[in-house]
Amino acid sequence: MKGFQSQEVTRIIEIDSKTCKGCDSCKAFCPTDAIEGKYGAIHKINSEKCISCGQCLINCPFGAPKDTVDVVDQVIDKLKNKNLTVVATIAPAVRVAIGEEFGMEPGSLVTEKMYGALKQAGFKVLDTVFTADQTIMEEGMELIAKIRHYALGEPTEHHLGPLPQFTSCCPAWVRYAELYYPELLPNMSSAKSPMMMAGALGKTYGAKEVWKVNPEDIFMVGVMPCTAKKFEASRPEFKSASDYWKTQGRSGSYPDIDVVLTTRDLARLFKKLNIDLKTVAEFTDKDNPLAQYSGAGTIFANTGGVMEAALRTAYFVITGKELDVLEFKPVRGLKGVKEASVTMVDTKTGKEVTLKVAVAHGTKQNVKALLEETKAGKSPYHFIEIMNCPAGCVNGGGQPINPMGTSWLDKAKAVLPWS
Amino acid sequence: MSQHDEHGPRVLKHPLISRLFHWGLILGFLPAALTGFFIWLKPFGESLQNVIMQIHIVGACILTLSCIIYTIFALDRVVAFTRRIFTWDSRDMAWMKVCGGYPQKMLLGKTIPVPPMGKMNSGQKQMGIMMLFGGILLVVTGWALYAFLPVAPKAAMYWFDMVHLVVGIVLGVSVFAHIFLGIYNWGEFLCMFGDGTQPLHEAEHHNPVWVENEIEPVKGSNITTPGQQQPG
Amino acid sequence: MAHYDYIEKAVKVSRREFIGIVGVAGAILWTGAYVATDLVQDRTKYIKLRAQGIYNDDVKAKVRQSHNNQAVTDVYKKFAQNPLSNLAEELFHTKYVDRTKLV
Repeated sequence: MKGFQSQEVTRIIEIDSKTCKGCDSCKAFCPTDAIEGKYGAIHKINSEKCISCGQCLINCPFGAPKDTVDVVDQVIDKLKNKNLTVVATIAPAVRVAIGEEFGMEPGSLVTEKMYGALKQAGFKVLDTVFTADQTIMEEGMELIAKIRHYALGEPTEHHLGPLPQFTSCCPAWVRYAELYYPELLPNMSSAKSPMMMAGALGKTYGAKEVWKVNPEDIFMVGVMPCTAKKFEASRPEFKSASDYWKTQGRSGSYPDIDVVLTTRDLARLFKKLNIDLKTVAEFTDKDNPLAQYSGAGTIFANTGGVMEAALRTAYFVITGKELDVLEFKPVRGLKGVKEASVTMVDTKTGKEVTLKVAVAHGTKQNVKALLEETKAGKSPYHFIEIMNCPAGCVNGGGQPINPMGTSWLDKAKAVLPWS
Repeated sequence: MSQHDEHGPRVLKHPLISRLFHWGLILGFLPAALTGFFIWLKPFGESLQNVIMQIHIVGACILTLSCIIYTIFALDRVVAFTRRIFTWDSRDMAWMKVCGGYPQKMLLGKTIPVPPMGKMNSGQKQMGIMMLFGGILLVVTGWALYAFLPVAPKAAMYWFDMVHLVVGIVLGVSVFAHIFLGIYNWGEFLCMFGDGTQPLHEAEHHNPVWVENEIEPVKGSNITTPGQQQPG
Repeated sequence: MAHYDYIEKAVKVSRREFIGIVGVAGAILWTGAYVATDLVQDRTKYIKLRAQGIYNDDVKAKVRQSHNNQAVTDVYKKFAQNPLSNLAEELFHTKYVDRTKLV
């Protein structure tokens, strides 16, 4: 199959031909037109075009698209293995949605219950929100280095890509760029996503400093609101931990993230282990340094959240002062493309710099125009956050399916399929 | 004298607008029902299933437009129809008990006494109720499923699809009974597909209560009471 | 023109009946439209609730900025030195693939 590296998982979402009604609902949400089949006929996903975002899955009224990567039983097996340290790295969006699989209202913030359930199941925790903070440090300093070089004219010792810088935490967006806008790859931040950083960090720093176990005895489970993360974890270059250990004299080759569970998968795992999220004992894990996170990290789950977190830190690094108001309203909300500018006085040089940023979510409707503008060299922005899923990861393809909702954020209108 | 005699007094049973509406139903509902069956089972390949779906939508448009136009331009017919299908009495119960005498006639050749009926017999009233509610359900669910799928709540669309399918199957099967009986009663067939008139004595045979109570001589005619035949 | 001698008597709808029909029909249509537009308008409510839950998590956090997360600072102090260091590049940065060139 074209467009895949070896070892990458090539099929994640598949349409069940017995359930599909050919209603074309899914096509309204597919960002890459990867769904084949005329109106009224059974539909099929073209895996070469598909970016595994799962929007078709959460919006189909009949549940025809299915997530075919099911590792719940494998994880349960690993949890039983006393020689392994099974670590769950959980995205922020999971903790406001997993309650829905247990009858709670959408948006119920159940972090302590989730930690308690994970503990009861036998997981250790390395919260993805912790590595989201780290992503801000890596990606933020990368952005600031580019701004110092391109906007303030200072020399640099790093190899820097051009501006505008695109965020790189959304694996559906990354594959979309790699397939359809490879000329923009130099603009992509070189920072890994928080989940992949968690894999690398857990099997190096986590093994050495926190759990004090052999890195090859760690089984890293990503718990994500996202089906594309199952693809991301399978990317063959993501074995940085074992590469690092080879330089330290250890042998063995293993992935940074072993498997990925979606929010739905984790709920199923809990139910298989007879753990009820509503009644489980709460756990704060406050003695675990890898479960300590900031508010900036947690807002990664929303569109505009990565941008806001980056601005809180960029502002401090450049001006030496904290923002008076931490909530950055212009980048919040469900508008397709949001823009903002922040004027700061650089404490190092005394020069004034205005950071122009843009936030786009929903690849199908909103992202293309920004990308074309950047391709044409006309982008006025320094930093652009892209999230494939409408509204960001809270509405990701791995989240609980809300029966009365859809991802259609635009104005309600009639869609009249014909062919 | 043949039953469908051209001579003798005649009554207008189905005015033009009703006959046109009936044609609209035929051109709309029948293709929609037939294609609907194949949309459900999906036995064919991609291109043919797509054409079938397009025919289904065209049929649905004709059906919907016919219903809307008829309701606007012939509201009195709609009121009359609705009143008739919801008026039931002991004669209707008795008629239902013997199925109008039709099975006995068709299978055994026997003619049995049957309670007197109005313009619609009990079976037609039952079919009328099914068509009225079923038709509304099909049209409403059908348009929601065609035009509003991505914006409508998924659970609602799932149930709309289920209702559309079940009602479509029930009405689709019933319409075959309707067509069969409509041909079996050949005089009625000629009436609906002809000029809408029927010999008076034929109407007296099938719809005596209607002839007795609900018809009147056309203005300017010589007839003063219903049932009186002209000489010759 | 068709020849017929008898015709159905005109259908009479009293004023009261007419108002009744229009009233009932209107009530059904208006209720249906109201419910339908309500449901369609609320189609993204679950997203807004989840997003609000996330912003609540931010507001109640003891630390609100990534650079003030002491545990992250410790990672650099004890292990990776500083962002964009050589070790950080190895473990926390990556390269991308032009998939149009992959067979």
